Amino acid sequence: MITAQSLLQAALNGLILGMIYVAIAIGLTIIFGMLRLVNFAHGAFYGIGAYVGLVVAKKAGFGAALIVAPLAVALFALALDRIVLRRFYQKEPTAQILLTFGIALMVEEALRMIFGGTTQQYPLPSWLGGSIAMAGLQYPAYHIYLAAAIALVVVAVWLFIRRTNYGLLVRAGIRDRTMVQLLGGNVRLASSIIFALGAALAGLVGVAASPIYSIDPGTGFNFLIPSFVVVVIGGLGSFWGAVLGGIIVGELVSITQLVFPPGADVIIYVVMALVLLFRPQGLLGETEVIKG
Amino acid sequence: MKDSLSRGRFVGGSLAAGAIAFGAAPNVIAAPTKEIVIGLDIPLTGPYSDQGQDQLRAYTLAIDEVNKAGGIMGMKVRPVQGDDQTTATVAVENARRMIERDGAVMITGGSSTGTAVAVSGLCQQKSTIFMATLTHGDETTDLSCHKHTFRRYIDAHMSARAMATTLMSKYGTGRWFHITADYTWGHSVFDNLVAVVEPKGAKTVNNVLLKLGTTDFSSALSQAQAAKPDVLVITEFGKDMVNCLNQAAQFGLTKSTKILVPLADEYMAKGTGDNIDGVVTTAPFYFKYHAARHPAAKKFVDAFIARWGTPPSNGAENAYTNIYQYKGAVERAGSINPAAVIAKLEGYKFTATKGPEYWRTWDHQGINSVLVMEGVPTAQRGGDIFAFAKVLEEHDGETVAVTQAASQCKIESA
Repeated sequence: MITAQSLLQAALNGLILGMIYVAIAIGLTIIFGMLRLVNFAHGAFYGIGAYVGLVVAKKAGFGAALIVAPLAVALFALALDRIVLRRFYQKEPTAQILLTFGIALMVEEALRMIFGGTTQQYPLPSWLGGSIAMAGLQYPAYHIYLAAAIALVVVAVWLFIRRTNYGLLVRAGIRDRTMVQLLGGNVRLASSIIFALGAALAGLVGVAASPIYSIDPGTGFNFLIPSFVVVVIGGLGSFWGAVLGGIIVGELVSITQLVFPPGADVIIYVVMALVLLFRPQGLLGETEVIKG
Repeated sequence: MKDSLSRGRFVGGSLAAGAIAFGAAPNVIAAPTKEIVIGLDIPLTGPYSDQGQDQLRAYTLAIDEVNKAGGIMGMKVRPVQGDDQTTATVAVENARRMIERDGAVMITGGSSTGTAVAVSGLCQQKSTIFMATLTHGDETTDLSCHKHTFRRYIDAHMSARAMATTLMSKYGTGRWFHITADYTWGHSVFDNLVAVVEPKGAKTVNNVLLKLGTTDFSSALSQAQAAKPDVLVITEFGKDMVNCLNQAAQFGLTKSTKILVPLADEYMAKGTGDNIDGVVTTAPFYFKYHAARHPAAKKFVDAFIARWGTPPSNGAENAYTNIYQYKGAVERAGSINPAAVIAKLEGYKFTATKGPEYWRTWDHQGINSVLVMEGVPTAQRGGDIFAFAKVLEEHDGETVAVTQAASQCKIESA
């Protein structure tokens, strides 16, 4: 039965799901903006984060996992960037997609070889348990903490890009890479920082979401496709577009699940198609950045 | 500098890469010799991959044992495998490839009634025997039964009837809220449960249908919490059930509501840990229970643990026994001719890992016992995370299986 309250509850669920998409999509979009790289390996960063988090959490607790796993993912991403990806920055997108997709498959199979294919889960630590009365529900507190933490991280990343010298370099690089290089700016450094940052975000979500979603080697991939949809809806390379797109996708899935469950899978693609038809640059896409 | 990328190409590329992701896996080329090729069509990725991987362990064990003992009528068994991704179209394409290119004479495996029914249809067309493994929806040996398909796993009808007494004594006639996997199997379990509990007075307040592979159950669980039911039925399987039950615990539902999971296995119990404490479920086999009662079960469980380091899940037992059932039937028939093998399976009485059982002639359902079990917390599992339950009841399959009068199965003459 659909009531005002059940809609409110669906909206709350959608917001939380949406925030998870936001954290993954922000990484995708800033990497695309800075490196012009269509990164299909982004789901793999989620997977690595989740597994490293699982190992660290078992040894040193969940709090430690939240710090160590994103750092480990950032290091992995830096190495990947230096050794492989930078050779592909100037290649056509098809080559980038094939390369990053190949990396994603290799990471998935490597995780399967190391940790086995079975479903694993990190149980929610008791200090993060409990529930909060909200929208007429006893809502799991951890889901709220997770959404709030992602919101904080998003603001922090935005401040980093808007308010620091590195951020200035990044924004300049997004606008005109060649000009920044001619002026002596270290675009390569800025690119590496952005790539590692985007990857670390995915790794962080990989750990933070593991008490909610079980982990298996393919988990990261499950989040990848909706996150691309988020980026397309929000506008390629647009920071706030990813935030808006993530929340829209989360809400669409959640409300459709209440109103018409069989449509929950399709709705985001329908909306993506509509956005592409009527606003091809995405809701907040900046046409001057991405020539289309 | 070529650093701009059109949006159209980005989207097109995304779709192309997505298509690669869902494509078929590569496989081995057949070399025809004096051997029997058996096609293992099992989920190695996706929501039921834990179950598929455990089936693969059991098949590997059984086939190695058979080959070491001289094969089937002197012919070595060569397995070919395919990842069915719990997707009917993929499962059918795997089976087709195994039959047409690899020369498979028997297809076995699977962890979903959706794939089982689809593969069963193909095997009927191809006159190839299909020993379905983990499929629990009635349809496999009921509405969609076929001459070439045999299913020894219990079905939803058997589970619901076996639990009938326990459902009333432990769950009662209050308000029942269902979260159900939206495909053949989920519908079959829901229909059977409702048929058992509603005549006694239970009221179904909602049935939220969710697609296979759902990871976020917040929507269904917040509806369940708002409805304040007496019973929450989670008809989900594999990783989906793990996510659903663990999230139900976060929504406080494991404390406020009695939870029923009509079908579970060892991997789902491992993934849900203490959250499965007190949850009633059914299974055709439980390694701790059967190994303590039947020498053949003990031999199998010991060999499985020696080979793989973990005990077998109930689907693995089914996979293992299917290989031996096929071997026995071929040897009795003296031929791999499907018609001859089918004739030797129909009505065949045997004792394997569970005591006396038989293959029913008119629907090809294996008639064997059903366990009603209750989950125990991890602290009571004696250090073995898979030792997840205590057995409440064991039911003779005959007493809980659908009758011919009530079944819609009409098996073909060939």
